[in-house]
Amino acid sequence: MSKPLLGLIVGAVLGILDGLTALFYPNTAPLIMGILIGSSLKGLLAGVIIGFFARKIRSVPWGIVFGFGVGLLLAYLVAMRGDPTGHHYYLEIMVPGSIVGMILGFATQRYGKGPKGIGAN
Amino acid sequence: MNWLNDEMVDHLREVSTFPDLSRTPYRILRVLGSGGMATVYLAEDTKLSRPVALKVMDSAVSSEDSVSRMQAEAQIIARLEHPGIVPIHDVGTLPDGRVFYAMKFVQGNSLTHYSQKAAAISERLRVFLKICEAVAFAHAHGIIHRDLKPENIMVGAFGEVMVMDWGVAKILPGAEEDVTTLADFDSTGQGASTADDTRLDPSMRPPLKPLVETMSGTVLGTPSYMAPEQALGQTAGHSRLTDVYSLGALLYFLLTHRHPYEGASVQQIRENFREKQLLRPRKSDPTIPKSLEAVCMKAMAFEPPLRYSKVEELATDVELFLSDLPVSAYEENIIEKAGRWLNRYRFIIFLMFAYMLVRFVLYFLGRL
Amino acid sequence: MMKDSKIGGGLFPTTQVSVIVRLSSDDLALRFQATESMAAVYWKPIYKYIRLKWNKSSEDAKDLTQGFFARAIEKDSFKSYDPSRARFRTFVRTCVDGYVSNEEKAAHRIKRGGDCPVESVDFNSAEMELKLSELPAENTMEDYFYKEWVRSLFSMAVEVLRHEFTAAGKTTQFEVFERYDLNEDRATGEGSYESLARAMEIPVSQITNYLAFARREFRRIVLEKLREITANDDEFRSEARWLLGANLK
Repeated sequence: MSKPLLGLIVGAVLGILDGLTALFYPNTAPLIMGILIGSSLKGLLAGVIIGFFARKIRSVPWGIVFGFGVGLLLAYLVAMRGDPTGHHYYLEIMVPGSIVGMILGFATQRYGKGPKGIGAN
Repeated sequence: MNWLNDEMVDHLREVSTFPDLSRTPYRILRVLGSGGMATVYLAEDTKLSRPVALKVMDSAVSSEDSVSRMQAEAQIIARLEHPGIVPIHDVGTLPDGRVFYAMKFVQGNSLTHYSQKAAAISERLRVFLKICEAVAFAHAHGIIHRDLKPENIMVGAFGEVMVMDWGVAKILPGAEEDVTTLADFDSTGQGASTADDTRLDPSMRPPLKPLVETMSGTVLGTPSYMAPEQALGQTAGHSRLTDVYSLGALLYFLLTHRHPYEGASVQQIRENFREKQLLRPRKSDPTIPKSLEAVCMKAMAFEPPLRYSKVEELATDVELFLSDLPVSAYEENIIEKAGRWLNRYRFIIFLMFAYMLVRFVLYFLGRL
Repeated sequence: MMKDSKIGGGLFPTTQVSVIVRLSSDDLALRFQATESMAAVYWKPIYKYIRLKWNKSSEDAKDLTQGFFARAIEKDSFKSYDPSRARFRTFVRTCVDGYVSNEEKAAHRIKRGGDCPVESVDFNSAEMELKLSELPAENTMEDYFYKEWVRSLFSMAVEVLRHEFTAAGKTTQFEVFERYDLNEDRATGEGSYESLARAMEIPVSQITNYLAFARREFRRIVLEKLREITANDDEFRSEARWLLGANLK
């Protein structure tokens, strides 16, 4: 499996799991479907970007740093929207989002096939 | 009687000591070492302006058997073209009748010195894997080394590994080819150019001369790293598994910085074998992982059938260990499996734990 | 192959049996012969050693050298030699020290008669050599004895080589060896081969061939003699390596 594809799958899964944690907050329950879709897409997109990075740059530390950055940025873009009441959940979205990005960064560096069938690190 | 002054005595000593290389392209720089039946010199190849190691038979001990053995050694090494096996550049006979061969001068440290400096176990295991690679290559060509020991392994400054000293190597049955005679080496050292020609055109190489048969009961090798069948002089029982044992002993040395058996003589080693005196690696260093100890002990099994059947299998187990995967030599219990799994995925587990912790903290902060 | 035994300027027996072994023989005649062979190599180093270390006059050193060998035969002094404890030359040097010390204490010396194996050697040549060479420091007498032992061994080997080459009609080969390897003014490098080739009117390639051959024979003779004056194989190999092997300098 290629690194971008691995990133896509893992990102989508982590995105769904991350989205499900919104259920801990009762006031977000009506919005849960939107949250889940958005979170999955965010995770998927982050995974693909981070996966492509891993194809180009073979460095676990840099992969983690890049993943952190991408996760943080995408989480910020989501958090910017806010809920219908205008409340923004920057902390609740960006901090976990950046950790998910780090997980994706590490996973795509360690696993998945690089270009021309080169094995994982 | 002529009186010989000091200068004459020194000169006579030198011309009698250092081989006469007058009809070869080599110039001796210094002695590198000696042992057994030959001395190795650092020399300069004046044609190519490069240093070489020149192994020259000592005439004080030469016999027909030892000449044949040295010639066969040179042929064996010349056939094994591998980055981990020191390449032979030249072979011939000196004007004084002594056989010599010139090989690449390897700059570096023996495994003994390397082991004292190398810190991480992973680094030492990677060196070990390179040794296995070279030995496996030789085995694939029907040749066993029979004298693998730290002093015969050189580790270069850039991590390159060379297996040296194939003086007691054996060609396994089936790997020999029909032989008539070796190319003649005349007393002018012109065998040197013959060796050059044959290197350029491998199809023209003379077939391997059979090694002088080692008499049963003869002990070849170095005591601490000898397989039991070697220590007991059972030359007919020497096989690839003999080298597997020695590789296991090298692994033991790399793990513990100690020789497997401390007895210096063959007799003492035999006693140790009889009394099963091998100290398990973890007894001298409890931090050595159990799986790695198991790999080492399997390679050093007393009975050859109980060892790894091939060098490749031993190397595979070491690679699996380095990848945090289970090795064939060790049966993990459920706790050890879980521990290894956790160790292998420790970073991801850490991140997931960090994620859950953050979620947990945020949840409670929100509740406040 | 046996050759005549003659001390000082001649040959030495080239049997394969170690002289050291025969030194301990119960047969007095055999012991005398063996001592004669051994003395051929040792008399000069012993004489010079006694002269310098014990500060004896040439006459006293001569008497002591002769006395040492005569006493050795009479008292079977070399029987106590143990190869596992020291090299034979070290043992001899120690025996010489012991002998000279005892003689000094006894404060008399007995003139040795015709049964001494070094009765007829040319002590004057040894005395001349002493005058020509640099005197060693006091604390290096052990090294000095070893150096003189090597010199004596090599000198004998040169004489045997001369005799063999002459007998085989290879006088040119020996002359090349003598004029190059035994030449005080030998120049280094190819230039000296060429000048020798010109002087002898033979090709340079012939010079190198003859030299290689003569040196090979010289080495063989040295090793043969060394085998005779060492007690066993281990000592021989050790001495051979020390003298002509890896332990040099």
